[in-house]
Amino acid sequence: MPALSHDARRNLVGYLFISPWLVGFLVFVAGPFVRSIYLSFTRYNIVTAPKWVGLANYRMLLTQDDLFWKSAWVTVKYAAISVPLAIVIGVALALLLNSNVRGIAAFRTVFYLPSIVPVVATSAIFIWILNPTIGLVNQVLGVFHIHGPAWLKSSPWAFYGLVFMALWGVGGSMVIYLAGLKDIPNYLYEAATIDGANPLRKLRHVTLPMMTPVIFFNLVMGIIGAFQTFTQAYVITPDGGPESCTYFYSLYLYNRAWKYLDMGYASAMAWVLFLVIVVLTAAVFRTQSRWVHYGG
Amino acid sequence: MSLQILKRWAMWVFAIGLTLVVFATGSSTPRKYPQRKLVRFWHRWQGDWEKQVQKIVDAFNESQSEYEVVAVSVPGGGADAKFILGVIGGDPPDLMSMGSTPVANMAANGFLTPLDSLMTPDEKTRFFRDSYPGIRNIGVFHGRCYGITIGADLMALYVNVKQLREAGLDPDHFPKTLEELEDWGIKLNQYDKQGNLTRLGFLLSDIGYVSHYFGGGFNVLPDGRLELNTPQNLRALKAIVDYRRKIGFDNVVRFQAGLNDIEGAASWAFMHGDLSITYDGQWRVEELRKFAPDLEYRVYPIPPPAEGGTPLGGLVGGNYMIVPVSGKQKAGAWEFLKFWTGLDNPDRAATFYNMGGWLPYSPAVANSPTFQRWLAHDKQFQAFLDILASPNCKAPPAIANLQFLNDLITRAEDDAEHGSVTPEQALANLDAKYREEARKRRELGYDE
Repeated sequence: MPALSHDARRNLVGYLFISPWLVGFLVFVAGPFVRSIYLSFTRYNIVTAPKWVGLANYRMLLTQDDLFWKSAWVTVKYAAISVPLAIVIGVALALLLNSNVRGIAAFRTVFYLPSIVPVVATSAIFIWILNPTIGLVNQVLGVFHIHGPAWLKSSPWAFYGLVFMALWGVGGSMVIYLAGLKDIPNYLYEAATIDGANPLRKLRHVTLPMMTPVIFFNLVMGIIGAFQTFTQAYVITPDGGPESCTYFYSLYLYNRAWKYLDMGYASAMAWVLFLVIVVLTAAVFRTQSRWVHYGG
Repeated sequence: MSLQILKRWAMWVFAIGLTLVVFATGSSTPRKYPQRKLVRFWHRWQGDWEKQVQKIVDAFNESQSEYEVVAVSVPGGGADAKFILGVIGGDPPDLMSMGSTPVANMAANGFLTPLDSLMTPDEKTRFFRDSYPGIRNIGVFHGRCYGITIGADLMALYVNVKQLREAGLDPDHFPKTLEELEDWGIKLNQYDKQGNLTRLGFLLSDIGYVSHYFGGGFNVLPDGRLELNTPQNLRALKAIVDYRRKIGFDNVVRFQAGLNDIEGAASWAFMHGDLSITYDGQWRVEELRKFAPDLEYRVYPIPPPAEGGTPLGGLVGGNYMIVPVSGKQKAGAWEFLKFWTGLDNPDRAATFYNMGGWLPYSPAVANSPTFQRWLAHDKQFQAFLDILASPNCKAPPAIANLQFLNDLITRAEDDAEHGSVTPEQALANLDAKYREEARKRRELGYDE
C-alpha cells in the first residue's frame, strides 16, 4: 500500500476532524434535499413506496389549487410589508443606539432581547398583547380613546398583528446595523463636516451609502426569512386565521404534509418556494451594483 | 495539591458523573413491572384528565400479570405528526389515542392495524352488533375497524338556571324550537354602558354540528355523491350568520376573546356565569360536578328549527384508540383496549367512562349497574345518551380526506360570518373546492 504524501495526510486529518459535520450534512441536509426533488414528482405518504406521477403535483399546484395562490399571496404581502419596515426601523434604532449617552449598553440590550426570545414564547406573549379585550395594545389605545381592532380574530388585523410581531424582533438585525455604523471611518464624517454638511446630509450621503452592504445582507436574509414564516402563524392562528388572512405558504405546506399526508405534493410546494426564494435573491443580487457601496 | 489541579479534578469528576447520570440511569420508560411485556400508550390528555387516564392504566396493570402499560401524554397539535414520525422511525407506540378526524386518512395510508384482526370472532360479533352506530362508524374505513373510542364526544346545551329565572324565563319549559331559543338568548344578553357584551345569552355556531339539526350535514356518500351545498346546510349557515349579525359580530369576537376558558380545569366561562346558555361537550358534566358543585344547571339537546328540523341531531367526534401497523406489542395493546372500552366487561369499564365524563361505546356499558348508579347522581348526562341513541346522531363521512373537508367547512363558516362572502357563496365555494380536491386525488391515483 503506497504511503500517503504529507499533503494528503494533512488533508485526511482535516477531513477526519470535520467528518462529524460532513456526515451530518450529507445525511440530514443534502440527502433529504436531493430526495425531495424526486418525491415532488411522486405521490408519497411516507409509509408506502412513492408512486411516480410526473409533473402532476406541479401542474395541480399551479393550475388547480386556490389555496396555493392564496397562501402565496399572504406570504408575498407579508414579505413586501415586513421586510422594508424591519429595515427602516432596524436602521433607525441602530442610529439612535449609536449615540454616546449614559446607559447606552442597557438600551441596546433591551432592544436586542426580544430577538433572542424563542418564536413560540413570543407568539404566546403576542396572543395576550393583541387580545382585543384584555390585551396591552388595546388597553393603551383605549387611553387615547381609540377603540382598537379585534386583532387576531379579525381580518386583516390578524395579518398586521403578525407583521407587528416581526418588527418586535428587529433587535437582531439592529445589532448588525450597529456594527455597520461602527465600521464607518470617522474621516468621512470629518470630510463632510469640512464641506459644510449638516447631520441630515451626512446621514443621506455618508451613513446610508456606507451602510448599504449591511442593509443588503439584511434584505436578503429578511426575504428568505419572510418567505419561510411558519412558527408564529402555526402557534397563533393554526387554522390560517380569520378569512385565511394568515394562511402562510409554509403553514399550507405543513398541512399538506402532516395533516393530509400528501408528502409528494408538499415536496413540490417546497421546491416552488425554494425556486421563488432563489429567483428573488438573485434579483436582489443583480440590483446591488446600483445601490450597494463597498469599501470606504 | 494546588487549587488549579483540584479544580481540574473536580471538573473531570463532574463531567464523568453527568455522563453517567445521562446515559447510564436505566431506560427512559419508568417501569413498575419490568418483567412484564411493555405496552407503550400515547394519549393527548393533560391536567386532571391525565390523572384519570393514569388511574385506568394502573387498574389494568394490577388486573393481570402479563403486560405493563406505560402511558405518555403527548399533548398539542403536533401529536399526530409525532405519531407519524414514530411509525416511520420504526419506534411507534403500541397504542395511541388520537382525535377521530385523522383515523380514516391514517388507515387509508397504511399506518394502522385493523383492530378486527386482533379480535376473536366473538369479540368481533359483539363489537359490530353492540356499538352505538354513530360512534362505531367513525373508526370504520372500507368495512374494517381501525379505531375504537374510549371517549366519544357530543354537544348539548348547558343552561344556567339562576340566570334564566332572573330574566323571567322558566328553565323547566325549555324552548322546543331553535327560533325560540334564539329569542331567549337575546333576552339573556347583557351589555355595559359602551354597548360591549358582558354576558352572552346564547350563540349559534359550528356549522358542521348545527347542520344536523336542520336535517343536513356534510356528507360524502360511498358512491362519491356529495351532500355539501344542500338547502339544509344553507339554512343552517344562514341561521348562524343572521344570529351573529343580530348580536354584532365584532361584539361577540371581543367578548369571546376575553373569556377565561380552560378545558379540564375549574375555569369555564359557563361556571363563571359569563355564558347563560352554551353548547358544549358531555365532559363538562363531570367538570361541573368537581369544580362547581353548587351551580344549578340543566342540559338539554339543541332544539331543532321549527320547520324541517331534526331533533336529537349530533355529530360524533372524540378520542379513538388506534394500533399502529408497526406496533411491537399489538396483543397487549388490544388487551388494554378491551379492558378500557368494556368489550369484555361493560360494568367494569363503566367506571372508567365516568371518571372523565366520557360517552360509552355501547348501550351495554350505558345500561350497566355502575353506569346507571353514576347517572343517578349526574342526571344531566342523560341528554347526551339520548342524543347518542338517536338515529339523527351521525358519524362524519369515513373518507380519507376528512381533515381537508373539515378545514373547508371551518373556512366556509368563517368567511360567511365575517361577511366576506354570502352563505350561498361560502357553500358553493366549499363544494367547488372539495370537488377540485377530489378530482386531484383521483388524478394522483388515490382510491377516492
